[in-house]
Amino acid sequence: MDEMVDGAGRIRPHWRNLLGAVGGLGKPQLEERARRLQRAAEEEGIASILPGTKAAGMGWRCDPVPLPMPAAEFATLEAGLAQRARLLEAVLADLYGPQTLLRLGLLPPMLVYGNPQFLRASRRANAPAPNPLLQLYAAEMLRGPDGQWRVMSDRAGLVSGMGHAMENRRLMGQAMPEAFRAAKPRGLSIFFELWQDSLQRLGPQRAGAPAVALLSPGTADPHWFEHVVLSREISAALVEPGDLTVRGGALFLKTLQGLQPIDVLLSRVEANTLDPLEFPEADAAGGVPGVLDAARHGALALVNAPGADLAESPALAAFLPALCEHLLGESLLLESLPTLWLGSPGAMAQVLAAGEPILIRPAMDGAAPGEVYTPAMAPRLEAAPGAWCATWLPTASVAPCFSGTALAPLPLALRLFAVSDDTGWHAMPGGLARVLDGTAPMAGRLPRSGWCKDVWVLAEEEALPIIGPAAQQLPPIAIRRNSGAIPSRVADNLYWLGRYVERLDRAARLIRATLTRLRRGAPLPREIAEVAALARCLREAGLIDAEALPGGGSTTALAAALAHAARPEGAVGQLQARIANLTETVRDRLTDDMHATFNLSLRAARAAGETAGTGLESLSRAMVANLRFATAVAGVASENMVRGGGRLFLELGRRLERSQAVLAEIGLVLDQPPARIEAGLRLVLELCDSVITYRSRYLAVLQPTPVLDLVLADPSNPRGLAFQISAIQAALAEVSGLTEDPLVDEAGALSRDAEALVQSILASPEQAVAAAMLPPQLSEMADRLGGLSDGVTRRYFAMLPVARSLGLDGPVAVPAEVLPT
Amino acid sequence: MMYWVRHITAYAYDQPVDLAAHLLHLKPRALPGQRVIHARIRCQPAPDHATETHDHFGNAATRIFIAAPHQHFEVTAEALVEVNFAPPPQPEATLPWDVVADQAQRGCDEATEYLHASAHAPALAEAAEFARPCFPPGRPVLAALLHLNERIATEFRFQAGVTSISTPVEEVLRLRRGVCQDFTHLMIAALRGLGLPARYMSGYIRTRPLPGQERRRGADQSHAWVGAWLGERDGWVGLDPTNGIVVRDEHVVIAWGRDFADISPLRGVILGGGAHHLSVSVDLEPAEGG
Repeated sequence: MDEMVDGAGRIRPHWRNLLGAVGGLGKPQLEERARRLQRAAEEEGIASILPGTKAAGMGWRCDPVPLPMPAAEFATLEAGLAQRARLLEAVLADLYGPQTLLRLGLLPPMLVYGNPQFLRASRRANAPAPNPLLQLYAAEMLRGPDGQWRVMSDRAGLVSGMGHAMENRRLMGQAMPEAFRAAKPRGLSIFFELWQDSLQRLGPQRAGAPAVALLSPGTADPHWFEHVVLSREISAALVEPGDLTVRGGALFLKTLQGLQPIDVLLSRVEANTLDPLEFPEADAAGGVPGVLDAARHGALALVNAPGADLAESPALAAFLPALCEHLLGESLLLESLPTLWLGSPGAMAQVLAAGEPILIRPAMDGAAPGEVYTPAMAPRLEAAPGAWCATWLPTASVAPCFSGTALAPLPLALRLFAVSDDTGWHAMPGGLARVLDGTAPMAGRLPRSGWCKDVWVLAEEEALPIIGPAAQQLPPIAIRRNSGAIPSRVADNLYWLGRYVERLDRAARLIRATLTRLRRGAPLPREIAEVAALARCLREAGLIDAEALPGGGSTTALAAALAHAARPEGAVGQLQARIANLTETVRDRLTDDMHATFNLSLRAARAAGETAGTGLESLSRAMVANLRFATAVAGVASENMVRGGGRLFLELGRRLERSQAVLAEIGLVLDQPPARIEAGLRLVLELCDSVITYRSRYLAVLQPTPVLDLVLADPSNPRGLAFQISAIQAALAEVSGLTEDPLVDEAGALSRDAEALVQSILASPEQAVAAAMLPPQLSEMADRLGGLSDGVTRRYFAMLPVARSLGLDGPVAVPAEVLPT
Repeated sequence: MMYWVRHITAYAYDQPVDLAAHLLHLKPRALPGQRVIHARIRCQPAPDHATETHDHFGNAATRIFIAAPHQHFEVTAEALVEVNFAPPPQPEATLPWDVVADQAQRGCDEATEYLHASAHAPALAEAAEFARPCFPPGRPVLAALLHLNERIATEFRFQAGVTSISTPVEEVLRLRRGVCQDFTHLMIAALRGLGLPARYMSGYIRTRPLPGQERRRGADQSHAWVGAWLGERDGWVGLDPTNGIVVRDEHVVIAWGRDFADISPLRGVILGGGAHHLSVSVDLEPAEGG
């Protein structure tokens, strides 16, 4: 059937307003809107992938034409969804509890005992099932020619796609405002408020709101972005397994302020890797030892319960009507697509005889996409029929989809979501419609990328007031002016983000300074010396190999090495990739605007490096793009990030990196005979971006002491050493909050020593000679800054070691000689 | 028989362990034929937190959590147990094995759980083929099982050190040697391959010193054997393929599961520690009045 047009070729009433608005745009405008949606998705949305990350080029595309749904149809689906969720919850409660369904023969034992999703760690003999079991549920449906939506897949484990639905709605609001005004879809925010509220109700009711966290495997997960947007929407802390620890039977988050209790954990980590104590084959470092036991004894609400994935088994569909009658005393409202478990007598023969398309899926793996039956598959199915199930596929309903140039009717799979609270199940008034364009998988987990539509549930003609659940009486939240609880991992990542951004900035400056000199056709002897000094700095910074150092007046190898460094696989490209990854890990600490600023300017720098080729001028421009990125980060950090907390670690990383680089470069540049010190001084000023300041103070007379004062001891020069050290001192003092702190004291001592260094040159009769003697002292100072960095790491990030498993050895033996006789 | 069991597991670490979590299956199960008069677990250092539950299989599972840095960890499990399992039925009077397999296949008894392959007892055609000569069509199930039990005890050499828990069953079949858990996993894989439910039993066995020698303290070991299903009427029987015997009153049952991984006596997750050294000592002695 066609979602938009009825059998007589008339536009269905619920499409009319929408279609009027879309049609009113005209084709060129619709193309522009589609592009705008795509751009917005790339810059700030689901498709957003930073340069250098593995998933580059993948993501979700949102169609500019939504799928409208009449209020009455949604109400029917909502009732069906709610019943199905209740039913699956009751099935799970039995299978993880008394297992009467098996004894009564309502479910074949093989689908439980032979099911890898049946987690024995979640069941205790003679004890009730874990509670809560299901808090979140989704169903993916197809609509057949008879107009009925029927369920193809149930999602009860890692329920993905709500973040996508939310993002689609936001992007559509920006790109298709006319359609919004015309069709008036129901908003989604009440649903997310309800969900947030229901999660909090799962926690203990004591003073202060329960602490809710969303557990993500991390940035490598295909749904990382969804974890970021959901955690923000429901005000949950976004955490990774390494951030958590179980102490005294309860769960805690490791933060800079110590251990903070977690009451409710929304897990997006595969259940069988969640707790290495319970699952010996799980990676000990990838989970939280003891978290299941904390949940088992009620110290933690863990949703959905580990093992809820069992309800996703595709073969279960064959038994749901009878289970619904038995468990709920009701008939099943929202049916499944006709499905047979091939372990049932006669099922295989029906598949062999069928003419319609049949989706074959592993009976017990709801994550698998499945494949359409062909006779070649028969031997595989007959070899182990109990391992498979067959689902009869209808001709799925189509709706107009915009390919970029034209509207064409394409089939859809509709995913709807529901959450439960103590009053029952509530469906999201919206959803995700996947376009089955031939490349999309039929069933299984939500893929990493695809084409989708926003689902618009239309308000009733006679707008009824929307009645939400009574707001929970929570004690008022105390106003906090500090940074809150920052996970140690986040602080660690911000610190390294600061260091790498600065390292990139430094690399770009060095390369640009070198390129400027190489571009002059006939270099002066002074310039040749400068290029040699710069090459030493480049080598020290790991940007070029030793072979590229200029020798015998030839700089060809150097130019080639710089061109290589600028490429994505070169040293600069690798720095960009590291920065991209770190940006992702702290994404929940950045607003969308901040993230877009980081993302776009880094992407521009990446693109400039990719296209620069070997031309010295284009390489120079590529370096400028990197400098712009670094400036953008600095601007965002100072203007948009809340003082304290996370920003301090970004600042610390940046300042420590810059101070060490300044010291290293001055050391290398001055490391030559006193007679050539003037050329070195000029370069020092240039690298520290201090030429103009120097000139305005001292005109053109270059002398060692004023130069070194400006770059080492002047606290007002933002690219000089003294400025960095006092910034480090201030940040350390603010982070620690202690009146006496050895790390802060060490920074103070470094600041005084830098001043004393300059004074000693001033006191020396021969300034140039004294300056040439500096490098060893500078290098010692750089070592002390390295020590300071270690101190920061030990104090603030040392809570993140990794665990390992123990005692997986078996019983040894009974010596044969001492057998019982 | 009444037995006094003491099972000490000690870990020494080269560096301090900052945080440890351990899962223990060390308390004998109360069963028809096995009365647990006393059982307790002590641990050094004392845990910050400990829980005691029954697992899915009905075994006692103890979890302990230690948050204080430690370089030595020791668990002592002690129990006083009286065992006297009912004698098995007359082998020739048991159901034909194919009927038992059919019951398991159709049935909804808990035995069906032990039909399915598991990590340490995978579906392996060679294992089933090894057992098949003992299982001609229609042979009474216990007669066939005893035959297989006997064959493993005689055709495989007991030898410690050639295998570890990660040695797969097919390797054990090839080597024709190994230790108790190897033979147990092999027999389980073979029986499941024929469609017969089989489970992994963990516990202890009474040992006797060689003639003329003193009994050595702590020289006993953890032991493993097979629980095999005789059908709905006769239930389960314990078969020890390492020794080729039926379990009666010289074995003490701690726990059962699909294989070793479900019920390993002690495993854990630690932070820190460096290299570790493990020592285990087990004593199973007939108790006074037994």
